[in-house]
Amino acid sequence: MISKKICLIGSFAVGKTSLVRRFVENMFSDKYLTTLGVKISKKIVSIQLEDVTLLIWDIGGEDLFPQTKLTYLRGMSGYLLVVDKTRISTLEIVIDIRKKVRETFPDVPYILLENKTDLTGQWDIEDSVIEKLQHEGWDIMKTSAKTGLGVEEAFNCLAAKMLRKTIT
Amino acid sequence: MENISANKISAKDELAHLRTLMLAPEQSEISELKERLNDPKIRAEELSRIIAEAIVMRTATDQKLATALLPTIEIVLRDVVKKDPKFLAETMFPIIGLAIRKSIAEALRSMVQSMNRTLEYAFSWHGILWRIESIRTGKPFAEIILLHTLIYRVEQLFLIHKETGLVLQHVAADSIDIKDADMVAAMLTAIQDFVNDSFSTKEDASLQNLNLGELTVWIEQGPRTLLAAVIRGIPPQELRAILQEIIENIEFEYSSAIDNFEGSTAPFEACKPDLLYCISQAQQTDSSANRAVKFSTKNVKQNTKKHDGSWVFIIIAGVLCLLIIIAGIIFSALR
Repeated sequence: MISKKICLIGSFAVGKTSLVRRFVENMFSDKYLTTLGVKISKKIVSIQLEDVTLLIWDIGGEDLFPQTKLTYLRGMSGYLLVVDKTRISTLEIVIDIRKKVRETFPDVPYILLENKTDLTGQWDIEDSVIEKLQHEGWDIMKTSAKTGLGVEEAFNCLAAKMLRKTIT
Repeated sequence: MENISANKISAKDELAHLRTLMLAPEQSEISELKERLNDPKIRAEELSRIIAEAIVMRTATDQKLATALLPTIEIVLRDVVKKDPKFLAETMFPIIGLAIRKSIAEALRSMVQSMNRTLEYAFSWHGILWRIESIRTGKPFAEIILLHTLIYRVEQLFLIHKETGLVLQHVAADSIDIKDADMVAAMLTAIQDFVNDSFSTKEDASLQNLNLGELTVWIEQGPRTLLAAVIRGIPPQELRAILQEIIENIEFEYSSAIDNFEGSTAPFEACKPDLLYCISQAQQTDSSANRAVKFSTKNVKQNTKKHDGSWVFIIIAGVLCLLIIIAGIIFSALR
């Protein structure tokens, strides 16, 4: 079976950890995030009848993405950027983080997840902003850790993107 | 007569003429090919165009090229050393210092470990018992300490791809409760990164030991992979040498597989016997110490408590003490 390392990156309290909690195999407690700054969980997805083990490195949320965090990204095959749909500031931070990550890992595929989409009345990030990013080539999906909307699809979609890259 | 011969000649000419008409391009091709085959300069030129690819292809299929080239390379090396030893010394300089430093550090650590062990046990309760055993059996004290303390077992071995933190291969001894190897390996890599980022300033510095009670994790580093051994008990320094040798072999033998690693562990399936050997090796060391014991925490504890005939000496000593006390009482009563 093929294994791949992926990373989960985003600002503080955007729901990264909740996003994985319900959908992956966990072995380590959340306190690793505050101590080591990273927590690892695992998810097996099936892409075109082939099972792929995703080792998910959940990188502790900090609004400043320091150099040390970049070492945790080493060797990843893809990453998920997570923003809180109800806070526009998280998107600004993610755009900044993505720029930094692209400098070191220019060709690694990624998907932007708009999390907390279940809080419909409180949306702060407008669709026009998202459309603009999509025009710039971003892959963007809506998720909700609470209702489970789009989470499985996000992992599958990223895995498919990564594998296509390996094959070509 | 003349007429006939003249006819013959003209027929021959015609035939030759016909041949040139029909086969002229092929004829020139054949002569060209002949020329190419006979001219060493052209052949060398042609060979030079494909030789690199040919070597790469052959190296990928088997090791015969290396075997074939070995004598030549040996001669070349010898000549280089003879001609200009300084050149080779300068080339080797960056790695030789590192190798020596590492080897000296290992030797020192091994010495400190054995000294520590001797000191630790020399004055302890176990130490006294073992000293009696040493007198009784006539074996040196150090040997007795080794015999009692070298009870260890390699429980698990992880071969990990450094860059991604993914497991290339994982083996475990029987009856070990195995947690998810993928996640453990990734976390181990994360801890390593964390330690490096937090405390170390040098690039080549790395985590080598983790101690948790009676469990020890030894980490041997290769350039692109690392081998983590989870050991119960006190392992001898020789085990480190074995681990080092294994990782060096793997780095060498699976060099291209490591370079082209895309997440599939299939190419590394073949190094499983090497890793299993390491696990069985630990058990052999124990049996050579004449202890036909199966390893487990319970047994380790039992073994350190068991001291064959030394209890007899304690009883005799106790009886003697009792006799002296009684004699003392009687003596003082008489006075």
